[in-house]
Amino acid sequence: MSLSRFLIKRSLQGLFVIWGVITVVFGLRFISPGDPANVLLPPDVDPEVRAQVIAELGLNEPLYVQYWQFISGIPFGDLGLSLVTRTPVAARVVARLPATMELAIAATIVAVVIAIPLGVLSATRRHQPADYGATVFSLVGISTPNFWLGVMLILVLAVQLNLFPTSQRPIGLDGIAMLLAGGDVGAAVDGFVTWLWHITLPAITLGTYFTALITRLTRSGMLDQLGQTYVRASRAKGLPETLVRYKHALRNTLIPVITVIGLQLGTLIGGAVITEAVFAWPGLGTLIINSINARDWPVLQGSLIIVAVGFVLVNILVDALYAYVNPQVAYD
Amino acid sequence: MISERTRRNLRRELRRSLLAKLGIVVVILMVAMAIFAPFISPYSPSQQNLDNARQPPLGFSTAETREVTQMENGSVVIEDGQVVTETQTVYTNATFAHPLGTDGNGRDILSRIIYGARTSILVGLFGTSLAALIGVLVGLSAGFYRGRVDDVLMRSADIMLAFPSLVLAIALVGVWGQAQAPIPDPFVATGIAPAFRSAVGLPTGMPETVVLPGTVIVVVALVNWVWFARVARGEALSIREEEYVKAAKALGASDGRTVLRHVLPNAITPILVLATIQVAAIILLESALSFLGFSGADVSWGFDIALGRQYQSTAWWISTMPGLAIVVTVIGLNLVGDWLRDALDPGIEGEGGV
Repeated sequence: MSLSRFLIKRSLQGLFVIWGVITVVFGLRFISPGDPANVLLPPDVDPEVRAQVIAELGLNEPLYVQYWQFISGIPFGDLGLSLVTRTPVAARVVARLPATMELAIAATIVAVVIAIPLGVLSATRRHQPADYGATVFSLVGISTPNFWLGVMLILVLAVQLNLFPTSQRPIGLDGIAMLLAGGDVGAAVDGFVTWLWHITLPAITLGTYFTALITRLTRSGMLDQLGQTYVRASRAKGLPETLVRYKHALRNTLIPVITVIGLQLGTLIGGAVITEAVFAWPGLGTLIINSINARDWPVLQGSLIIVAVGFVLVNILVDALYAYVNPQVAYD
Repeated sequence: MISERTRRNLRRELRRSLLAKLGIVVVILMVAMAIFAPFISPYSPSQQNLDNARQPPLGFSTAETREVTQMENGSVVIEDGQVVTETQTVYTNATFAHPLGTDGNGRDILSRIIYGARTSILVGLFGTSLAALIGVLVGLSAGFYRGRVDDVLMRSADIMLAFPSLVLAIALVGVWGQAQAPIPDPFVATGIAPAFRSAVGLPTGMPETVVLPGTVIVVVALVNWVWFARVARGEALSIREEEYVKAAKALGASDGRTVLRHVLPNAITPILVLATIQVAAIILLESALSFLGFSGADVSWGFDIALGRQYQSTAWWISTMPGLAIVVTVIGLNLVGDWLRDALDPGIEGEGGV
């Protein structure tokens, strides 16, 4: 199968999954006790007003009509109106995207920059102190709940030592880009420093689990590769050890590591939700939590759809990249 | 179901690995703590003492300045129509009565950690069992029947996987609300624990019920069954081609019998390894839900971490201690998982080399 046919097949599967996601999210409303009109109205409201609101929300339509109304707007970016603010859900979700994406990307950078050298070090110095240190670190790292790590970082580095702010995101990369576009370089630089200062603790909080996980994977992948015949052959042929390790072994180790990073994106987004809650980071996670607390179903549904669709799309992209990078992969 | 060879591998790996031994000890200690909470807990987890709030753990003391109204002969001093206050430094020392300190309401943190173990372990065990039940049923059917059954079941698994599990869990618990089932604590109901406590001189009045967080258990199972389905399907796909399965079919065994008697026993090892790791993952998920206040649990490690946050500048131990309990438990489970994986699947390169 060619790459383009593979992509078409994978996209069709993705479309099916997205349809399924939307349907599951539509169904969420029906497992909740109480109907959405209760969110808008006081309990002792006049039944006539109540009936009118229900009609306005389209809640008295037959189920298939409601389903069609829900699903038909989505391809055009219409996710309905918030029950609480009566503003379009899509706009609110999109406004929160940059904060979450920044956090996820910053955490991934932290993880990759620390984990891959650490994993390599650990594998090449097997059974030495550095290896034990890295092994203990990765065991503790994958076992620590990130929200608790965040609370501890705040406790020590923000409250006690006053090195970092405890929460908030006064400016984002989108805001900095706007300053740059306006030609105000000085303010943009200041903004970037503020941004970096505020994102450090959340990025460490979210990134630690992945750092630990990738360290583990890199270590066992490297050990596996270093034991292969081709490594012995390269050494026998007289290639310098650095070339053998970093050009051959490491490159082959990275292929599965990249796949796992792709597969773990869901965990990354889940982790971002709770990290945002710890640091009052105004991303999708805090939007989801607030919408649950306010019983604002359309906002919850819209956020879930955006998260799941984004996840499906990224996975297709990772698959395609993987197939492109590694020609051995069978497209099926 | 566990062969002699498997048992030999388990024993050999256990002898070799210090970390595996450590993991088993930690897990046994945590489970024992949860089961015997009414015997060993110094106090009831909900017993408040506002006069003794925020007492530090052993080895620490705090100094705190407070505005105190000035008293003279048992009455408030008033000058120029104003209550006179003075600044006092209040020192709080640790005591052996509360080795891990007390929380913002003067509740004993050690007791809350001991009782919190019940919540974590109940959700971990029941949540994993339910997830395994659903996942193994789905996975075995998909792998055994293949074709259309496989397509339908695995595509629905894909849909579940498109939601990050924590996000889906928050949404489901948030939408569903929290149903909890209080079950009488057998040790308290039979009077064994109260009798033991008064005999050794511990305060009585322990909680009479164990709270089973029903919604949380169902939700963690619903978001995690997919992993079991994937593993079970993979196993069933290869096992169905084995001679003994074909023989069973040829002899006229029903599908149900073939799957339960021949496929499942041979797929059980990887499912067990996965289950151990899943208990750890589900304990983490429960603590996250409790931290966010969605689980409805009032004695839970995650919930206590959140409660401690309002005292982060004055009483660091309130958030710190329950988090350490989570970390220790999850490390223990991960070590046991590594042990099982190394012992049962020699094809995989071992990790921790201690």
